[in-house]
Amino acid sequence: MPIRRDRDAARNVDEQARPALVPADARARDPVVTASSLTKGYGDVVAVDDVTFSLEAGTVTGFLGPNGAGKTTTLRLLLGLAEPTAGEALVFGRRYRELDDPARRVGAVLESNDFHPGRCGRDHLRTLALAAEIPRARVEEVLELVELEPVAARRVKTYSLGMRQRLGLAGALLGDPELLILDEPANGLDPAGVHWLRGFLRHFAEQGRTVLVASHVLAEVAQTVEKVMIIDRGRLLTSGPLADLTERGQTLEQVYLELTAGEAS
Amino acid sequence: MTAQLRSELLKHRSTFTNLGLLLAMLALVLLAVLLHALSLPADRLDSASNQVQVFRFGPLLGALFAGLVGALSITGEIRHGTIRPTFLMTPRRERVVAAKIVASGLVGIVFGLVAVGVAVGVGSVALAARGIPVTLDGGDYILMPAGGIAAAALWAPIGLGLGALLRNQVATLVAIFLWLFFIENLFLDFVPGAGRFAPGAAAAAITGLDPDRLLAPSLGALLLALYAAAAAAAGAIATLRRDVP
Repeated sequence: MPIRRDRDAARNVDEQARPALVPADARARDPVVTASSLTKGYGDVVAVDDVTFSLEAGTVTGFLGPNGAGKTTTLRLLLGLAEPTAGEALVFGRRYRELDDPARRVGAVLESNDFHPGRCGRDHLRTLALAAEIPRARVEEVLELVELEPVAARRVKTYSLGMRQRLGLAGALLGDPELLILDEPANGLDPAGVHWLRGFLRHFAEQGRTVLVASHVLAEVAQTVEKVMIIDRGRLLTSGPLADLTERGQTLEQVYLELTAGEAS
Repeated sequence: MTAQLRSELLKHRSTFTNLGLLLAMLALVLLAVLLHALSLPADRLDSASNQVQVFRFGPLLGALFAGLVGALSITGEIRHGTIRPTFLMTPRRERVVAAKIVASGLVGIVFGLVAVGVAVGVGSVALAARGIPVTLDGGDYILMPAGGIAAAALWAPIGLGLGALLRNQVATLVAIFLWLFFIENLFLDFVPGAGRFAPGAAAAAITGLDPDRLLAPSLGALLLALYAAAAAAAGAIATLRRDVP
């Protein structure tokens, strides 16, 4: 079945999908993340174009799209690192920059290498913990959680990409947050690392917490997430439960390729 | 802001960057002071205004390196990307900027103290070794270290503000070097009336070493404080308004 690719079609999918997405008991609760007509332009380029979605507590959502589709920009807008040109992004009902204790509510990793190469992993986490008034013992806890304790005293320049991914994740987990936002977290992880991450994210969501994972690695996402949003050229093409998108026997890859190929032509 | 300040101070302590800068500054102070004290003819070192040529490298290099410390405290975070986790932990960016001003000012004080102390100590010993009486008096021994420290403490926010505006680490460091060692010298040589109001000349004026050419120490301190406040404010506004890289 051909899929219509204009924005109205995407909206329809979104609206049809939503009732099934939200369990009855959760409907009364405020969404964890709300983006309303979120738009970000850089000069003539519109990186994020009128994107609207919301995330419910306890879900793992995959945020998919080709490179340059606007995934990272959307996450930066959610996290207050960039200001939208139009529209609004709210986390827990407020702009990120206005959250009282952001580290204890939201953990995020946007880049896999946001470290000073000459600082050791433990000191990197301590600088973050001090700023958020998180006790020093928590630094050791997250180091243990991501299995970096043996190398915590080594400078980050000696770390592999997989170790850097885990150090970034440790930083995001310092405040034991309710919402985790990750950009391409599986990059550089070996199969055991990917397996570990998948289990970790599932366990995280089972506790009623929320995960948003941006990725272009479909096979990875298909095994981890229950909800999918697909973005291309700044526009949200579809959003809904993974099961609904693939119910006609299509794989996620087929759905993704059909949607994004249409945009490119 | 105390939490952010503790975080910034740990950032300064937890890499070898500042130690490397301190050693580089020490080497430059020693080189400049010893070359002047040992190689200038004795008749060009007999008056206080001549001996200024020996000692002035302490406060000058202290201010320069404090400026570099301030610049690196923001451009280093932008270059390595740690600015993102920093602002995720503290999205109220003004708190981060304020903590950076204080922390780099404190580190700048250490740099100023070391630079002036070494310049005065080594310079005096070198002159004494050649049998040239040091013409600094008790007041100079108080004013020069105090002024050198104040100049360094104020140059840290100047470097920080410039770094927050330019964002690019290399461009910021080159701009500070060019300004202090080239552009200001041109001004002092060709338009001394205006040149002595420049931020590097104001820093030198605080130490009271060259009152004929420069402003009075108190005026120099006031002017440099204004430069520091303006640079810090401009850097803070730019950091608050612009998207994080």
